[in-house]
Amino acid sequence: MKREMNYEMNAFYIAYRNLKKNVSFYLLYFVSAAFVIAVFFSFTSFSKSRIILDKISSDGRVETMCSTISVFLMAFVIFYMAYSNRFFLRRRTKELGIYALLGYRKADILKLLISENIYICCLAFLFGILMGALAYRGIVCLINGLLRLGIRQSELSFLDPSAVAQTAVFVAAVLVILVISNGRFLWRSSLMDLVRFEKSAEKKMKFHKLPAAAGFLMILSGYGLSLDILRGSRSVWIRAGFYQTGLLTLFLVTAGTVLFIAFFLPYVMERSKRHKKSFYTDMKIVTTPGFIYRIRSNSRTLIMLTLLSAAVLTVSSVMALTLYYPIAAVSRVAPSEIEFRIGDGMREEDIIDLAERYAPDAADTEITITDLYRVTSDSDHLPVEYSLGSSMNGAQGEEILREAGFECISYSQYRRLLEEQGKNKAADRYAPLSGNECILLKYQPDEQEEPEAGRQYVLDFANGSAEVTVKELSLDNVISFANSVGTLVVSDELYSAISRGQTPDVRVASLNGSALKDNEALYQALSDYLDGSPYLQGHSHRINELIYMNSSTFLLIGFLVILFFIAAGSILYFNNRSAAEDSKADYEILEKIGYRRSKIRKIIRRQIRAFFAIPFLLGLADCIFASMVYKAGLMQNLLGSSWSQYVPVGIAVLLTALIYFVYYILTVKSCCATVWPLDRTMNCSAIGQNDELSTRI
Amino acid sequence: MRTILKVNEVTKIYTKGQKPSLHKVSFEAEAGEFIGIMGASGSGKTTLLNVLSTIDRPTEGNVLIDDVNLEKLSDSEAADFRRDHLGFIFQEYFLLDSLTVRENISVPLTLQKIPPKKIEYMVRSLAERFGIASQLDKYPGELSGGQRQRVSAARAVIKKPGILFADEPTGALDSASATELLKALYEANRDLRTMILMVTHDPYAASYANRILIFRDGRIVEELRRNRDERQKFYERIIEKVAEMDTGRN
Repeated sequence: MKREMNYEMNAFYIAYRNLKKNVSFYLLYFVSAAFVIAVFFSFTSFSKSRIILDKISSDGRVETMCSTISVFLMAFVIFYMAYSNRFFLRRRTKELGIYALLGYRKADILKLLISENIYICCLAFLFGILMGALAYRGIVCLINGLLRLGIRQSELSFLDPSAVAQTAVFVAAVLVILVISNGRFLWRSSLMDLVRFEKSAEKKMKFHKLPAAAGFLMILSGYGLSLDILRGSRSVWIRAGFYQTGLLTLFLVTAGTVLFIAFFLPYVMERSKRHKKSFYTDMKIVTTPGFIYRIRSNSRTLIMLTLLSAAVLTVSSVMALTLYYPIAAVSRVAPSEIEFRIGDGMREEDIIDLAERYAPDAADTEITITDLYRVTSDSDHLPVEYSLGSSMNGAQGEEILREAGFECISYSQYRRLLEEQGKNKAADRYAPLSGNECILLKYQPDEQEEPEAGRQYVLDFANGSAEVTVKELSLDNVISFANSVGTLVVSDELYSAISRGQTPDVRVASLNGSALKDNEALYQALSDYLDGSPYLQGHSHRINELIYMNSSTFLLIGFLVILFFIAAGSILYFNNRSAAEDSKADYEILEKIGYRRSKIRKIIRRQIRAFFAIPFLLGLADCIFASMVYKAGLMQNLLGSSWSQYVPVGIAVLLTALIYFVYYILTVKSCCATVWPLDRTMNCSAIGQNDELSTRI
Repeated sequence: MRTILKVNEVTKIYTKGQKPSLHKVSFEAEAGEFIGIMGASGSGKTTLLNVLSTIDRPTEGNVLIDDVNLEKLSDSEAADFRRDHLGFIFQEYFLLDSLTVRENISVPLTLQKIPPKKIEYMVRSLAERFGIASQLDKYPGELSGGQRQRVSAARAVIKKPGILFADEPTGALDSASATELLKALYEANRDLRTMILMVTHDPYAASYANRILIFRDGRIVEELRRNRDERQKFYERIIEKVAEMDTGRN
């Protein structure tokens, strides 16, 4: 019993010494494990906090999302920890073989590995909990400020015991999984495998034309299919069905990516060696074969990282679009700060009173009442807006929502509202209308083969009829779609002819001015006054509502995205650092042959850059095409085609690029430090003294 | 004959207070010489090779190659000097595993910016001389130890260096492979006039040289010249000398 105790102490001691000796190598593993646990803990604290959930979730939607995302989160943590653990195990196979040669049983070696894992997991757990608790506070602070939840920091405990317990159980479960994985590896490997493991990695490389071509063509056709969605109603997506085409595209891109990395890239690089002029240079002759060798031996890792990169970039971009686009579209959905229909018996004075009460001292507050007159037309080729919303796809028995027709406003009213809404540039763009000219306000951009501008319609109204010509189409609607669709801006003369002696079909009040911005109190008072009318629209109100509705989704997806970055960055770091250690002898040879150290650094940088670029660039391409499909296929097009809509995608991509870049710099530094440590050892003494001497000289 | 290597009173101490690894070593060598450096482990042979090849620097004394004082070279100048004047062969071959044999041999020439066509021609003709022409498109992992060492030798010789440093080149080879390599080195020395400095434990390998420097405790304690002896005769003289020195040690 006593011997057993001593022996276990020994395993712990060896594990401790080993970690201490290789502290720089294990540091990133430890730090990334701590970060991963921190993300998990802050997520768990968040999902367990009743105080927050009560404020942001009324229908259980956030709770459902939390439990769904927690499954992904756990799967991701387990995958990452298992990957890192296996990676370090492989690095140490020879060392384990020596233990076995010395007489250690497999159970003893496993004990050693368990001890190391216990050290790392326990330390990572402690640091992770602390960092996670701080991150949780920060997140609560952020959403509290953003959504004005009114949570006092004192209401929250620093460490939620149930979240700590759940994280501890999870880390223990991860530990058990690692032990099982290590056990399987050890028991499946013979002594010979352990000692000769590193040697067995060298195999003759073969280059297959067929899968290489297939990979390239599949990716190309996947992207081609994605582009096809831009053809609108003529695209395969509409003709063959969105989901079928979506699945086919997903399959083509995913399978294509696998073949592209595993076969196409090595094949192309191998072919590039035939261009003697570019290949026989001091850089390429080293980097090209090195790249082929590495890509072949690490293709699985690269494929995994690329697909994960693509998924995460796409999710981030789609999320950014999902939030940004509706907010950008609010300028069309609710163009005035506040707008509503004036019903029967409603007095204008009441509205003015309310505005003055809730927005006093506001010199720039404008209240404009617009009278809309509905006219009909029998002309051919009427625009889609004419009958939009007049029936539910024409199905029988459905409630009729609005009468088909054009809703007319005068040019002067149109211009005035544009100016009040602060759209002065747009106001200047539209020249006054003469006689029978009109502007058609479109719901969505004109995508018809025959342009609608220039068309002529005969308008029928109570006082007669008139033929008008569409001078231009516009997306600058001044009345919200809740109150007017198929709006026609007509000349002031025609408007007075239409309105003469008639009661307007719809009267709309538009309130604008800086004091009304974010004025929830006024909005609420008006809502009460209007008895919860669905025709009440508020610009700021709508934006705040959108932020409130989407922020929890964003936050939860954010946990996954952060976790991905920690994992992907660390995997790239480990992989490159390990390759640098393996190539250390190669760099020494190059130095002896006469390569300057600056040139070798350049080689190292190029090799690492290629490894970072593949998952990033392929993931980026996937993300761009997927976002395009999402935007064109699944989102309403209210804003027309403008690159500015892709700004959030750009920001997501830039942030990703920045994070990759930081990891790249860290990896390059670490790899150079691996190849040329600070010359304290005998191996590098020559180089170190060279530096010393040259400085002295 | 032109003197191209001058070693003046070179001392190398790794740790202060410890015995020097090299102690006031001096000798000169002429172009086209094949010098063997012998001695027990720890006698300073490899340290000397490192110091002469700019990989390490002496604590005292200086080394001149073609009248260039190695001490005065910066790191980058030393790299350029190795590129233009020196070649290396090591016991562990030190080939780049991810490069084919052809690419391995080409590396030093790409560094000298030789046109690809000329590189291809030079690689082919040298590969034939070293008996590895059929292995050019293979990777080092697919070759035997002897073949790998011949690739390493071809890589060292291809740029026609002024001096070729060989550190125990036959140490990991069977006797047939060792003989083949030594013959190849001997012919390269004879035909290309490349000076060879070879560190070896093996009297048989040393017998291919025309001068032997025997080291003990960081000093040259004996020098043997082949003169006009046959290789076999020289081999016997080396054996005798080594035995004599071992006796003295007892």
